[in-house]
Amino acid sequence: MSTTELRIRQRRGTIALAARETRRLLALWTQTILPPILTAVLFLAVFGGALGKRIHDVEGLPYLTFILPGLLVMTVAGQAFANCSTSLFQAKNEGYIEDILTSPLRPWQLALSYMSGGLLRGLLAALTVALLALPFAHESAQPALTALALLLTGLVFSSLGVITGIWAETFDQHAFVANIVITPLALLGGVFYSARTLDEPWATLTRIDPLYYIVDATRSGLTGFNEAPEWLSLLVTAAVALAAFVTAATLIGRGWRLKP
Amino acid sequence: MEATSDLDRASAALVVERLTKIYDDGTMALDELDLRLPAGSFFGLLGPNGAGKTTLIGAAAGLVRTPAGHVFVFGHDAAVDLESRLLVGVAPQEVHLDRFLTARELLAYHGRYFGMPRLEAEQRADELLEVFDLTVKGKTKPNRLSGGMRRRLLIARALVHHPRLVVLDEPTAGVDLELRHELWRYLRGLHVEQGATVLLTTHYIEEAEALCERVAFIRAGRMITEGAPAELIDRYGGERLEDAYVEAMRQ
Repeated sequence: MSTTELRIRQRRGTIALAARETRRLLALWTQTILPPILTAVLFLAVFGGALGKRIHDVEGLPYLTFILPGLLVMTVAGQAFANCSTSLFQAKNEGYIEDILTSPLRPWQLALSYMSGGLLRGLLAALTVALLALPFAHESAQPALTALALLLTGLVFSSLGVITGIWAETFDQHAFVANIVITPLALLGGVFYSARTLDEPWATLTRIDPLYYIVDATRSGLTGFNEAPEWLSLLVTAAVALAAFVTAATLIGRGWRLKP
Repeated sequence: MEATSDLDRASAALVVERLTKIYDDGTMALDELDLRLPAGSFFGLLGPNGAGKTTLIGAAAGLVRTPAGHVFVFGHDAAVDLESRLLVGVAPQEVHLDRFLTARELLAYHGRYFGMPRLEAEQRADELLEVFDLTVKGKTKPNRLSGGMRRRLLIARALVHHPRLVVLDEPTAGVDLELRHELWRYLRGLHVEQGATVLLTTHYIEEAEALCERVAFIRAGRMITEGAPAELIDRYGGERLEDAYVEAMRQ
């Protein structure tokens, strides 16, 4: 078999596994798509509707407008992470991952296929939230920047989801990362506040959180307001995305916790 | 010398050279094991529990990491050359099937993971569902199938991508006599009509005697002996392969 033919087969396999992941998330839409939308809508209703009028503008923006970019990032991050980590963990825990591990796919193709489901789930949920928030939000200042920032968010957290799915050997470990790592990162990422208004150590803690840069870039895209330079935010996010993807592909290639 | 060695590896379906596997808990599953499976043969691997049969199969299929030694599938190094995966179809001992897919989808997706175009994979899935008498269960998910059906589906899955080497790890363990004979009939057909090389592990010595042209006995990760069933009976005495096996293990 020629190298070209092998490459074509591997490409088909990658698309097939991505299709399988998509199929899984759509089949489980009441668990995968609906809950994040409901959560984000509740955030919008509580912070934008119920509390928004009592909170002064933040950095010259109405509170709902200020938090919407962060809510979109949280939605993409949480869903991309949950989808990849759960799907891979299930495949590993129930043993049917052996069908994938015996396939001719390269490690990075396996990682990318699993990530595709997470990316799609995150972006679908974010798009729905954005559409629901449209009546209350300002027109997006730079839609391309917003889309790029959310895509990078999906890449970062779907890669982290793959890493967690590989690492976790129990449901407790799986939940641990979601609750102890992802949630604090989200809450310290400047979704609900401006880092400039914080005292130390909170300001520094916020600025070393990669999510802060993602939220800031998304906010810049949606409202035109940003605290860090856009190029820095995108650079940090892209670097984290690349590092996470390379780590995920390397772990799969080594068979760490996947093969005895 | 190296060229001759490469030719020899390529002419055999499976060549295992000094393969050693020590698990993290210190268990030595394979201890410098050597094995050669001629292309086109029906080969049986016999040994007690813990002999290393499943580890060996896992190494050939890319399911087990083997830092020491080599496994070649039709000349392709199983550890690094992904083309080797296209040549092997493996039905593991434990039945693990993707519960999000129906029986037909499971076969079709397997074919697609191995690079078959979608339509071809779906046609192949239908063909195998018919061969394994599962057509009426095509839209059923694996957890709704009986144990025997799940076992048949697992074997069918191993065959979707037309592997040249079919590896079956205790395919008849826990199945009833009728199904066992049905599977035997199919495996013979697969070997004779389609020319596939078959590597079978089993605890049923009579199964190996009925199906296999060559048989290897392994114990504690090492090869004890290998040959045609009649040769092994001659070598170790007795009237049946079972007698030879017991004697070989006793020694």
